[in-house]
Amino acid sequence: MSKAKDFKSKRLSADLAGTTGGGSSRRTVIKGIGAAAGAAAIGLHAPFVHAAEKTIRFLNGEPSRESVRAMRFAGAQYEKETGIKVQMDTIPAGKAFEKVQASIKSGRPYDIATLIFVGDVLILADEKKLVPINDLIKKYDWGPRILFPVKGNNYWYPYDYNLCWINCRQDLYDAKGLKAPQNWDGMMSNLDALQGTGENQLPHGIVHPIGSNGATNYTAFGYMWANGVELFDDNWNVVLDSPEMAAKVGEYLDFMSAMTKYMPPAPAQAGWANLVGDFQTDKISHTPGTGRLIDTMNVRMPKRAANVGTFLFPSKGGDKFAVNHGYDGWVVLDTAMTDEALKFLEWFSDEHLINFLHTSPVHYQPTRLDIYEDPRWQAHPDLEQFKHITEMQKQVLSDKDIIIRSIDTEGPEVDVRAGKVFRSYALPEMLQNKMVRNMSNAECIKTAADKIRATVAG
Amino acid sequence: MRGERVLYSIFSVAIALTALLILYPAYHALELSFQDLDSFISKPVWIGFGNYADVLAMPEFWNALGRGLVFSGTTIALQIVLGIGFAMLLDTAIPAKPLVRGITVLPYLLPTIIVALTFQWMLDSTVGVFTQFVRLFGYSYIPWGESGTVAMTVVIVLSVWIWTPFVTLAFLAGLQAVPGELYEAARVDGASAWQRFWHITMPQLRPVLTVVLLLRAIWMFNKFDIIWLTTRGGPLQATEHLPILAYRKTFEMYEVGQGAAVSAISFVILSVLILFYFYFFPLDEKE
Repeated sequence: MSKAKDFKSKRLSADLAGTTGGGSSRRTVIKGIGAAAGAAAIGLHAPFVHAAEKTIRFLNGEPSRESVRAMRFAGAQYEKETGIKVQMDTIPAGKAFEKVQASIKSGRPYDIATLIFVGDVLILADEKKLVPINDLIKKYDWGPRILFPVKGNNYWYPYDYNLCWINCRQDLYDAKGLKAPQNWDGMMSNLDALQGTGENQLPHGIVHPIGSNGATNYTAFGYMWANGVELFDDNWNVVLDSPEMAAKVGEYLDFMSAMTKYMPPAPAQAGWANLVGDFQTDKISHTPGTGRLIDTMNVRMPKRAANVGTFLFPSKGGDKFAVNHGYDGWVVLDTAMTDEALKFLEWFSDEHLINFLHTSPVHYQPTRLDIYEDPRWQAHPDLEQFKHITEMQKQVLSDKDIIIRSIDTEGPEVDVRAGKVFRSYALPEMLQNKMVRNMSNAECIKTAADKIRATVAG
Repeated sequence: MRGERVLYSIFSVAIALTALLILYPAYHALELSFQDLDSFISKPVWIGFGNYADVLAMPEFWNALGRGLVFSGTTIALQIVLGIGFAMLLDTAIPAKPLVRGITVLPYLLPTIIVALTFQWMLDSTVGVFTQFVRLFGYSYIPWGESGTVAMTVVIVLSVWIWTPFVTLAFLAGLQAVPGELYEAARVDGASAWQRFWHITMPQLRPVLTVVLLLRAIWMFNKFDIIWLTTRGGPLQATEHLPILAYRKTFEMYEVGQGAAVSAISFVILSVLILFYFYFFPLDEKE
């Protein structure tokens, strides 16, 4: 027996002897051991023990390698500074709400999570699963149509606008002496000028997916928003087929139908891959999309990325312009770590948000107005190179004649009903009925409006 | 005695796993179908058969049921016919038999997502291989994203392509158990090839056919992945069957109760069909 073991053994014997020898019964000893074990067990859950092992669970919805790396770096930095670990799980943003629900049901909710639908935020807020972040939000100036407060409270921290506009081949525009179109006639004329087999021409003009999918919801309706179309009135009545709106929607449907001759065959079969792939491989001269296209091209084909021009979706008459809204943000859940999560989010917001935004600099359009003036953000070389695009992004936030809309944010206030309409694909179906089935405008609009009514009724 | 104890222990583990992974989730889904809730975290409100009444009143439910029957019926019939045909071919004396048999199984080994994505690109209206092929005949592309009939045909063809090898393997195993003497005797008696197939092969394959038909019916009626990954139920719901309707209601339309009700009804329909099947085609020949 080693000396240490011998010492321990002797000491234990002495302790026991002392106890029993002091007149205590065997029962007392057992009780004492039980009490000590109980106290030890309780002690394991005591706050001071937890403090040493605090972990913030963060559900990241941006799976690109650079974004994950930036988030992990921030987490490691935070742990170094505070001793609190940030455990990062990453999932495609479209699946985040399901993951958040599963985490809540399993009893281990995330402390911070990425969400991409305001309807999801509303459901979580209504179920009191989120905590308001009003104080944090008040610290900054925000752009328009991005905070989506719920009953006066801010439950989410939006980090990018994710706006969809039209990208075009600026080199071809310059060669042909074309200007960004100011109305639908101008758009048609540009598409016509750039489509063909001649010099400075490409086989097709533009691709607009019209199938029942997210790509259509996100990229096909900019012209409709620019033309002043709204889906609901202030009381959530569907007004798509009202005389005023039906006329505007009819114009939009005719315009989309007329653009078919400038699209590659089968727009109903097109998706995200075509939007990017057809543009990069010289099949089309225009494609709707976000800054992600430019960031991606800038990595793989920088010379071509430098030749990308952008413009907003014009209206028929050219009096208004629009972009389709994307938006992404973070929420803080009501958990044992809420206070720590709030502190982390504030720290991240001040110290690392710009680093994160720089991982896809043109795509992650800041939602906070102060960031546009921040030298740290401006310092990224890509933002200098694509200044014409960031200027356009800034203009979208300040120009009252530019409309920012999307299906899932339609209606007088934040509501799950708009999210249901987004996922019912009533509007993509309206396009398919027009462009594939050749139904009349009135029939297309009525069918879509009826489906939206049935969807929101529920 | 010890053997029995081991047997019961293994049996208990199997029962416990079934209860945990199948019975409880099924019970939970059934429970959800009687509740009104927007999400899995919403406070449930008990509404009895309200969801069932709503679902049964929806035209999209009946349309989805009809499409599901067309999809499963057609794919099963084609898989069985082709499976028997390929099995008989592979049972004959063909050159490089082991290699040919191995290649036959390949589609079944591929992950569904790979098959779906590959076919999508092969059908792409601009660069797809099939598109280039149909252009030789004057067509510009295959309109699988525009025509409901074409889309349904595409998912049926894909399903048959992927899962026929399973049926082929099952029948090949069955064919190898048929005694050669039966065919010899039939030949001596002057039976034609068709008569040998109909009066010897088919009766001998009947137990395999019964099981394969049952399994394929269950799998194809509930088949979700290949349709979702290829068409997502479109165009204009032309390939949306009950599993996709249930998924969309539950995970996209914030109607968890209705989605669960669609699943429950789907389960009942399948169970009734299986009961009828067992009644007409009992598995135990001895009875």
